[in-house]
Amino acid sequence: MREKGFGLNKTQDQKKKKLESAQPVVQEVPDISAHRVLVANRGEIAMRIMRACKKLGVGFTAIYTPEDEASGHVALARSLGEGKNIFRVSSYHDANELMSVADEAGCTAVHPGYGFFAEDFRFARRVKKRDRSMIFIGPSWKIIRELGDKINTKRLARSLGVPTVPGSDRPIYDEMEAEHIAKSVFEFQEGQGIERPLVLVKASAGGGGMGIEEVYDPDQFRSVYRRIRNYALRQFKDEGVLIEQRITDFNHLEVQIVSDRSGLNPVHFGTRNCSIQSTGLQKRIEVAPGFAPETLEYTFDANRVLTNIVEYSLTMAKKVGYDNVGTWEWIVTRKGEPFLMEVNTRIQVENGVSACIARVRGHEGVDLVAEQVRIGLGEPLGYTQAEIATEGVGLEYRLIAEDPDNNFTPWVGRIEHFSWKAEPWLNVLTQIPLDKPYEIPTEFDPNLALAIIWGKDIDEAKARGLSFLDSLQLDGVNGSGEPLKSNVGFLKSNTPRILKF
Amino acid sequence: MIDISALLDEIKASPYRDIAITTPHCGLVRFLGGKVGDKLVGPQGQWKEKPGTAIATIERERNLKTISSPEKGDISVIHSELEDTFVEAGTTLAILRHMLTRQEVEQIILKRTLHLFCAPERAKYYFTPEVDKKIRSSDAKTVVVHDGMEFMIMSRMKREAPLRYSGPEGVIYAIYFTYNENVDAGSPLIGVCPADQVAAIQEMIMRVQTEWNE
Amino acid sequence: MDNNIAKRIQSLRDRLVYLKDIFAGKHRDNADLLEQRLDTFSEKASADALDDPYAELAGVEDLFAYVERRLENEITPMDRVRIVRHPQRICLKDILENVYDNFTEVGGQDEHSLDPSMLIARAVIIRRRGKKSYQQSVLVIGQEKGHGAEFRNGGSVKPWGNAKALQYMRVAETEGIPIHAYIFTPGSYPIEDYPGAAQQIARNIYGMADLRVPIVAVISEGGSGGAEAIGLADKRLMLSHGYYSVISPEGAAAIEGHVKGGNRATPELIEHCAQNLHITAQDNLRFGYIDRIVQEPPLGARPWHFDFFRNLRQEMLRATDEVVLSTRLFPMFRGFALSSRRNPEANLDEMHMRWGLSQGASNRLREKRQQKFLRFSRNAAIDRRPFLRKKAGAFWDWFCKPWISLKYDFYRKHQRKIESFMEEMGNEWETFKMRLLSPWRKLAGKPKKPEATTARELTALSAWSGEGRRRKWNYISPRYKIDRAVTCPNSASYGCLDLWGPDLFAEFAGVCSHCGYHFSMEPEWYVQNVFDQGSVFEFNGEIEAGNPLNFPNFDERIAEARKKSGAKSACMTFEASINDTKLIVAMLMGTFRGGSFGAAEGYKFVEAAARAAKKRYPFLAYVHGTAGIRIQEGTHGVIQMPRCTIAVRRYIDSGGLYMVLYDTNSFAGPVASFLGCSPYQFAVRSSNIGFAGPGVIKETTGMDIPPKYHRSYRALSRGHIQGIWDRRQIRNNLQQALVTIGGRNLYYR
Repeated sequence: MREKGFGLNKTQDQKKKKLESAQPVVQEVPDISAHRVLVANRGEIAMRIMRACKKLGVGFTAIYTPEDEASGHVALARSLGEGKNIFRVSSYHDANELMSVADEAGCTAVHPGYGFFAEDFRFARRVKKRDRSMIFIGPSWKIIRELGDKINTKRLARSLGVPTVPGSDRPIYDEMEAEHIAKSVFEFQEGQGIERPLVLVKASAGGGGMGIEEVYDPDQFRSVYRRIRNYALRQFKDEGVLIEQRITDFNHLEVQIVSDRSGLNPVHFGTRNCSIQSTGLQKRIEVAPGFAPETLEYTFDANRVLTNIVEYSLTMAKKVGYDNVGTWEWIVTRKGEPFLMEVNTRIQVENGVSACIARVRGHEGVDLVAEQVRIGLGEPLGYTQAEIATEGVGLEYRLIAEDPDNNFTPWVGRIEHFSWKAEPWLNVLTQIPLDKPYEIPTEFDPNLALAIIWGKDIDEAKARGLSFLDSLQLDGVNGSGEPLKSNVGFLKSNTPRILKF
Repeated sequence: MIDISALLDEIKASPYRDIAITTPHCGLVRFLGGKVGDKLVGPQGQWKEKPGTAIATIERERNLKTISSPEKGDISVIHSELEDTFVEAGTTLAILRHMLTRQEVEQIILKRTLHLFCAPERAKYYFTPEVDKKIRSSDAKTVVVHDGMEFMIMSRMKREAPLRYSGPEGVIYAIYFTYNENVDAGSPLIGVCPADQVAAIQEMIMRVQTEWNE
Repeated sequence: MDNNIAKRIQSLRDRLVYLKDIFAGKHRDNADLLEQRLDTFSEKASADALDDPYAELAGVEDLFAYVERRLENEITPMDRVRIVRHPQRICLKDILENVYDNFTEVGGQDEHSLDPSMLIARAVIIRRRGKKSYQQSVLVIGQEKGHGAEFRNGGSVKPWGNAKALQYMRVAETEGIPIHAYIFTPGSYPIEDYPGAAQQIARNIYGMADLRVPIVAVISEGGSGGAEAIGLADKRLMLSHGYYSVISPEGAAAIEGHVKGGNRATPELIEHCAQNLHITAQDNLRFGYIDRIVQEPPLGARPWHFDFFRNLRQEMLRATDEVVLSTRLFPMFRGFALSSRRNPEANLDEMHMRWGLSQGASNRLREKRQQKFLRFSRNAAIDRRPFLRKKAGAFWDWFCKPWISLKYDFYRKHQRKIESFMEEMGNEWETFKMRLLSPWRKLAGKPKKPEATTARELTALSAWSGEGRRRKWNYISPRYKIDRAVTCPNSASYGCLDLWGPDLFAEFAGVCSHCGYHFSMEPEWYVQNVFDQGSVFEFNGEIEAGNPLNFPNFDERIAEARKKSGAKSACMTFEASINDTKLIVAMLMGTFRGGSFGAAEGYKFVEAAARAAKKRYPFLAYVHGTAGIRIQEGTHGVIQMPRCTIAVRRYIDSGGLYMVLYDTNSFAGPVASFLGCSPYQFAVRSSNIGFAGPGVIKETTGMDIPPKYHRSYRALSRGHIQGIWDRRQIRNNLQQALVTIGGRNLYYR
């Protein structure tokens, strides 16, 4: 049945195409309302994508797994959509499920959200190259592949004069060469006046913190190098290693880039600072803009740093013809040196803080998720950098059921009560239903909500943030009757140091 | 000690278990002609290498798979109305009425007699390496657990935590969880038999062996 | 009725049963006639109603003999199969007792043996020259069927039985006595336990290829691999009612009829296969795979045929003498001695000669044996190489030989000396230069690297070229064009999600990204992705697989295979290089009739080994897949086992590095010979290696085989192979193997 229906659609499409090609009309702005987007994600990002689609007048189809039956994204899909627009699948990780649901529902595009397939170039390639081709809402798969490779990104940056962490920019296979580079990195840091120089040795084919080790003593390098090389050979069948400076004292900044499918005129939506993180280096508080030199003191010219990283990011985006939203991640040292870390070729969790301070042609209510869908489906951006401005400071708290005192261990149980005081400057994004208890699924990270707060300056934003956290009511209980643990206390105690370096 | 005869009688009164046969994932379903009352078999062969009776096919992304019966039994419900339609993952295609095997009856009785140590939370569970080694090399029944003994690892959300046993001292008589699968909070993990009751339990199993005819 | 008559009646009854059995329901009327006469006679005899029972009995016996003679002409090939398998058929013990003058069983006794189906004995023959008598020793090995005794397993030898045979062949070699091998086997017992059915047969063949004593083999039932395990002989005799075949007719019929799962092929099909496989002694003599036929009495030899044993003794003496004589250097004497022994009237018992061989003679013996097998079956393949090119090639070989031996035998030997001399000269010059320049150096001072250079080195783009940069496959499977999901066979145990075909067959190189299961890939994938691009140069492509037995309907099937695979045989031989290390590759392709191995494939393989030896290149057998010997070629196929093994042995003995790499499925004959004999065998992950598939094992042994019985990891644990490689790493691993296993003393670079 499905197959047959398919074939029919195709022939109809072909007829349509023929008719269109017969008429010499060039459509400049495609009509995106004919599209239907598969929301290939869960939780709050799925909800943001669905709302964005609704706002744009684009149809959508959502998915869920049995564990997520009670999630707010399921309820939202049912309330927003008409007809059957949500399907139960076996796993969010199974591309075959997503493709078959997309076909069944007649989707023309796929939005991966963040996580799951967001930065998987193979998935993007499949969406595009399959017999029934669809639009992948994200950069083209070639760009994902190019910028997904850290070595490649580093080399691209260097070729454009964009600063990167000192060290090798290709896998090193030769022990002599490796020692030479390590020695240079130590000398370089001594020359910079760094008291305890550190060198990082990592398997070039590795990732996710595997096969990575610090060296603090040049004499120790050889044994570490050999250990990592052997590990890499065993684990990744490739004995190449990277050797670079380990930077310890830094702030984590990022630049939000947006570009339409032409790839010719990328714009930026400013910078963010994500330096407040858990011990596992997971972001907990994000702020836009990246520094606040008007209010706070810095040991370097913060304005210049922000301008530089924005320019560098745009240069790279132009070079590769970047054609959707993306984030360039930077580390900035206490001396104000920026180094490019990596490029995230996706919408990020914290896109909301940039959106809430952005003004396009003076208007508020910028929605970067909606912008991503719109330009992803082929609409031109429609405004220039000059028409984008920012106002105030945006702040995002990630509310997570975890125990910050105990190595941020996730807490699992039932949320009994979750409420806060609504404010015009506050936007809380959550998949947790507020009218009934909610079991946190164990399959996923226990993210509860994102709270986005706006203030006219950093002090107001911090004050409002604290008042939000104070107003928050969050109770729950787990299987052994223990009360809910959350990171609210951690967020509170870290609020004063926001944007301070 | 429980009344084994009464328990057996109780099981004999309703010696069936319903097994829902569901789709593993989304796809287009086609039935293979089974109807209510048909007898099905589970996996066959010395190593269970031959799959059970084929019930339906499911096609997803031009990949056709067969859905086979997991156990012996007969079809009590079959959702033929789903023929040739696209179904979601976990859709029930048929319900199998499965007569309890001797082993299953043993398990039921054991669950009522043994001291059950249950999962405190929904998570994946493993034995600690020392205990695991002992179980693998000989038998679970060689492992003696006592109150407060750290013997398991609970793994959830990519984090692991040790788990202590609580309850009477005894040997691990039954293991109710499988590796790499989530166990719901409150589900039994192991059944423990105090050393002085082992003989009694063995005797009970002997009775099931003789009294239960499949 | 006296005892003697009762005995003779019983003997006639046995003959009648035998006759009925071997004809399996045919010639009913003859059997009935005999039965009736025998019944009438025995009734009367037991009632003592006969005047002259002995005369009557002689009449009955004459009638039996008459009918047997008449039916002798009616024997079909399948009847022969029943003859050799009949419990009344002579067995090795009968031969030991009747052909030899005395013997001692070694390596076991009856059922108390490592493998009762392999019998090994030291036997003696007493011969005379003039008045003096001499005792000569031989080692007798062979399969013992024991007249149907169950523990003998029908002559189906287990791997350790074959290992025992090889062990004692080595003993005979040490003692310098000839070996008499008697082949009474339907095939080897197909179990994989160490030393492994296939691998042990391979070792036996490899060992016999170079054994330093005369070997004479006699074939009664010659069932494929089991026969070859002790059959590589200087002289091969065959009993007139025996068969020698690549596979049992039942097995062939099962394959031909595509019989699956517990069903059996029809008797007609089995008869048809037996007919077309050309398995009789006459057929094999015509092909040249045996040297002589030993005539049996009508309907085949049974233990009471004492004339037959006398005849066999003469034949064995003659064959052994001939082998020994053929190594003698003086042609005059050799010719005379040979012709006197070939005289059918000669009594070899009266013509003693020594069987011991001098060093030179045993060298000549081995060379003759090897050449004999290498010459086999050339005409069974289609050779379309132009005549002139063949001649030119031969001339070129002759022309190049001195140069090659200068290069490798002289230069390589003295290379080190030359090199170290050059090195020393270089050192001297450096020291001299240093001294000369030192005054200037001091003036200039030691140059120091400025800090800015370090910084630039660490932050600017470095040059990066070479293979490491995003290596793409040179060839991807055409299956990547099909938009469909593929299920990994391990998904049940490893939870692998379905893979997308275009990813799997292109970027993933056919490897499951979750569990690493290897899907099979096309032979082209290896040719283009393992070796240096553009380095592959095929040779002998004009040798094509044919249909030497004119097996019915087989021409069309060969034509179809050619069309489907684009190849002309299942073996492609080529020169190639890996990182500039040149090597010769023989690739067996599973895409051409399952990679079955016949005369053409054997021809190409032998030529490739010879070429590798000539050019001093390493030799790689890459087995993309092989289902075994191509049964439709009959003994033309099975003879490739010793033939190719000899080619490999000659190559290795001349100093070559021979490696085998298995992929997908590799089974039966080739594994049990020229592949299994390599000291360096590796397998690609997820491949299967074995002697017989699960169906055949079930059929022949009645055992159920656990799933994954033949998986490469099992083969590794059993010691059959040396390592398992990831497909994506084949190139690197091969290169490493060439460097580490190869090196100075092997043909390398």
